[in-house]
Order: sequence, then structure tokens, then C-alpha cells
Amino acid sequence: MASQSQGIQQLLQAEKRAAEKVADARKRKARRLKQAKEEAQMEVEQYRREREVEFQSKQQAAMGSQGNLSAEVEQATRRQVQGMQSSQQKHRERVLAQLLGMVCDVRPQVHPNYRIAA
Amino acid sequence: MALSDADVQKRIKHMMAFIEQEAIEKAEQIDAKAEEEFNIEKGRLVQTQRLKIIEYYEKKEKQIEQQKKIQMSTMKSQARLKLLQVQNDLVSELLNEAKLRLIRIVADPGVYQEMLYKLVLQGLFRLLEPEVIIRCRQQDYILVEGVVRQAIPQYNTVSKKHVNVHLDVEMHLSMNSMGGVEVYSCDQKIKVSNTLESRLDLLAHQKMAEIRRTLFGANPNRKFLI
Repeated sequence: MASQSQGIQQLLQAEKRAAEKVADARKRKARRLKQAKEEAQMEVEQYRREREVEFQSKQQAAMGSQGNLSAEVEQATRRQVQGMQSSQQKHRERVLAQLLGMVCDVRPQVHPNYRIAA
Repeated sequence: MALSDADVQKRIKHMMAFIEQEAIEKAEQIDAKAEEEFNIEKGRLVQTQRLKIIEYYEKKEKQIEQQKKIQMSTMKSQARLKLLQVQNDLVSELLNEAKLRLIRIVADPGVYQEMLYKLVLQGLFRLLEPEVIIRCRQQDYILVEGVVRQAIPQYNTVSKKHVNVHLDVEMHLSMNSMGGVEVYSCDQKIKVSNTLESRLDLLAHQKMAEIRRTLFGANPNRKFLI
């Protein structure tokens, strides 16, 4: 009965092919999952790069405005200093006159609570 | 004889087809599951990493804001300090000018003598001590001697007390001093400093608030100043 063993051979081969098909599918699945990690990584990297660019531009903007602000503050300060100087110029004679007047105005007196011992 | 060869072959072919079909279905199942798990895993990974990145950059961006505020505040503080420094310098300059003018004023001997008399008398009145030491500049010694002789009787009249005045010959006020006298109790523990420098300093100190107000205007930050 050679045909019997031939049939069995055919079935065995079919089984073998079927097992290979399933094994291939399993391999594909494993690869797909690995792909998931890789693709996720790429997307995340992309996002991170975008955020970095955004952050850098924000930082640049901040530093630029910093320069402006400090110039403004300096200018305001300079104006105030000038104001103080001119104000001092205007009033110094009056202050000097008052001050010197008081220094030279010596009033020798006994203390008002001093009681002359009888 | 059970089955013919043809039948057997047919049966076998059926079985082969069945086996193959089962394998195909199983493979499809596996593929579908693979796709599903792929999406879940990728989505999960992306989400968690994204959140971390967002958190990281939000923190960094907040830091930039804080830095800005800190720098602004520092700048304003420095500006304020600078203004105070300028104010201080201007007041010092004025006081120096006052000193120079004072020196000029007392260069007139008549004026100076009159002032010395009052300064000595004031010193005596402040101390009310029976024994007193007077210290002056070396160049004023003779002038002060004369002035003391005039002051003593006046002191006696007003205070009804006696006083013994010694002029210090061992120690004098510095030659560079502007003038005036220092009056001490006999043990030198009590001192009345009636030098011109002392008077100017004392006055400047006491009048400082008013001086600043006159020179620079009222301080807009004070709410309760009348």
C-alpha cells in the first residue's frame, strides 16, 4: 500500500506548511511590536525637537527684552539723577544760608529748669 | 476493499485544504492581534513620553519667567541704590561747601572773637561746674584768654555761681580745625564740644531730613508725613 504512506506524507507536509504559516504570523507579530517601540521613539523625538525649538525661541525673546528693559531702567535712572542734581543746584544757597546761620547763632543760656540755689 | 484510490485522494485533498484553511485563519488572527497590540503599545509609549517632555519644558519655561522677574527686580533695586548714593553725594558736597564758607566767615577776627565769647559762655552754662578746663587751637590761645576773662563775670551774674577756668596748655585742638572750644569738667569726664565742626555736624545731623526735603523735594513714598 504505497498510496497509504503517500497520503500520509501529503498530510504531514500540509501540517508542516500550516505550522510554518502560523510561525511566520507569530514572527510578524513580534516584529510589529518592535516596530511599535521604534515608531513611538521617532514620534517622541520629533515632538521633543519641536518643543526644544519653541523653548529656544522663547529664551531668545526673553534675553532680547531683557536688554531693552535694562536700557529703559538706566535711562529713567539717569533722568532722575539729573533731576536731583538740578534740584540741589536750585536750593543749595538757601540751605547753606540756613545752616551757616544756625551754626553762627550761638545762644548761651542756662537750662530753663536751672534753679538758683538760694 | 474500503475505498478506491480516487476516494482516498479526495479525502486527503479535503483534509489538506482543511489544514491549510485552519492555518490561514490562525495566521489572520495573529496578524489582527498584532495590529491591535501595536497600536496600544505605540500609543502608550508616545503618551507617557510626551507627558514627560511637556512637564520638562513647562518647568523650564516657567524658570525663564522667574529669571526675568528676578533680573528686573535686581535692576530696580540697583537703580534705587544708585539714586540714594547720588543723594548722599550731593548732600556731602553741600556740607563740604558749608565747611569752606564757615572758615571764610570766621576768618574775620571781630566775628570770630564774638563767636568765641559766646561759645565759651555757652560751654560754662552747659557744665555748671566749679572747675573747668578749656581747650582750643594753639593759634587761638591768646584770643580765648581774653574772651574767658570777659565770660566769667557774665557767668557769675547769670548763674550766681563761681567758676575756676583753666586753659589747657598741654593739649590743643588741631591746627587744621575750624575753630571753637572744648570745655571739660575738671576730671575731663564731661565734655562740651563747642567747636565749629561739632556745631556744623550736630546741626547737619538734626536737620538732615529737612535738608533733604529742601534739596530734593518731599518723598512721594511717605503716606503719613504731614
